Amino acid sequence: MKVHIKHWSAVAQWRWNTGNVNHDQDDEGDVCGICRVPFEGCCPSCKMPGDDCPLIWGECSHVFHMHCLLKWLGTAASKQQCPMDRRAWVTAERKANELAAS
Amino acid sequence: MDARLRRVNKEIADCKNDKSSNIKIDLMDSSPFHLKGSFPGPQDTPYEGGHFEVDIVIPDSYPFQPVKMKFITKVYHPNISSASGAICLDILKDAWSPVLTLKSTLISLQSLLCSPEPNDPQDAEVAKHYTTSKRSFDETARYWTQIYAGGPLVKKMEVKEPQRDEIAIAGLEKAHVDQFESLGFERSKVIDVLRRLNYRGANVANISEDRIVEELLK
Repeated sequence: MKVHIKHWSAVAQWRWNTGNVNHDQDDEGDVCGICRVPFEGCCPSCKMPGDDCPLIWGECSHVFHMHCLLKWLGTAASKQQCPMDRRAWVTAERKANELAAS
Repeated sequence: MDARLRRVNKEIADCKNDKSSNIKIDLMDSSPFHLKGSFPGPQDTPYEGGHFEVDIVIPDSYPFQPVKMKFITKVYHPNISSASGAICLDILKDAWSPVLTLKSTLISLQSLLCSPEPNDPQDAEVAKHYTTSKRSFDETARYWTQIYAGGPLVKKMEVKEPQRDEIAIAGLEKAHVDQFESLGFERSKVIDVLRRLNYRGANVANISEDRIVEELLK
């Protein structure tokens, strides 16, 4: 039998590589601890997910929507601490690339 | 839909789906930002068997500002105002973090009932009672749980000794109140003065009867 393909469409799926290996079967998946929206969605002040609403990693390994975290660090109440462990927030610049390479 | 509303809706739904935590969140009125949380009193504490309700107000800048909570149910606890239900707990003030949720905050309140912190009191009188006589404090806390939080045994005691209520609620001994009442002072005044002077447990020995009469005559 010969099959002629006349038309095809590709479907792709993406997700942020958060370094959390157990995320696949979670009931709610990985959500930003600040806004509770999945990482693959965007923060509440953005319209489109993706590069315009990226994630941010801390040296402490905690991950948030960048906009959510910056908003928190912008408040006096934050004392510049990570919302998860209250350590001083230090952004881990190359974390994403390292994870991708490993 | 604004971020705050979306997050609160999600939190209410999450709490409904979680049957294991025993924490409930309900609407208070038509606003999604004024809620009522409730949880059972923790086991092996004077609050066991009670059902405690908390008034929850979600501020405009939630989750960047802490949620406002106070007890609706009257609670006898060093870190909870016996008059207003106001709560002294760090995460409701300067230790708030946006990753805390309504559910996790209510769980923190539940564990506050397990571990009072009398050195950082919200109600100084109750804290004084707690530090002077733990046993008498426990008795009063248990009594308040029965009276206000629907704990067990409430009906039996009310029928038996209706007069005991206000004395027990104040954590005092009936004999002490009777003693000064028999001098001709009004019962409510006696209770008020004895409570104010913390005439309880070991502290009784530190306060002379003259001092009490002096207060009663004021």
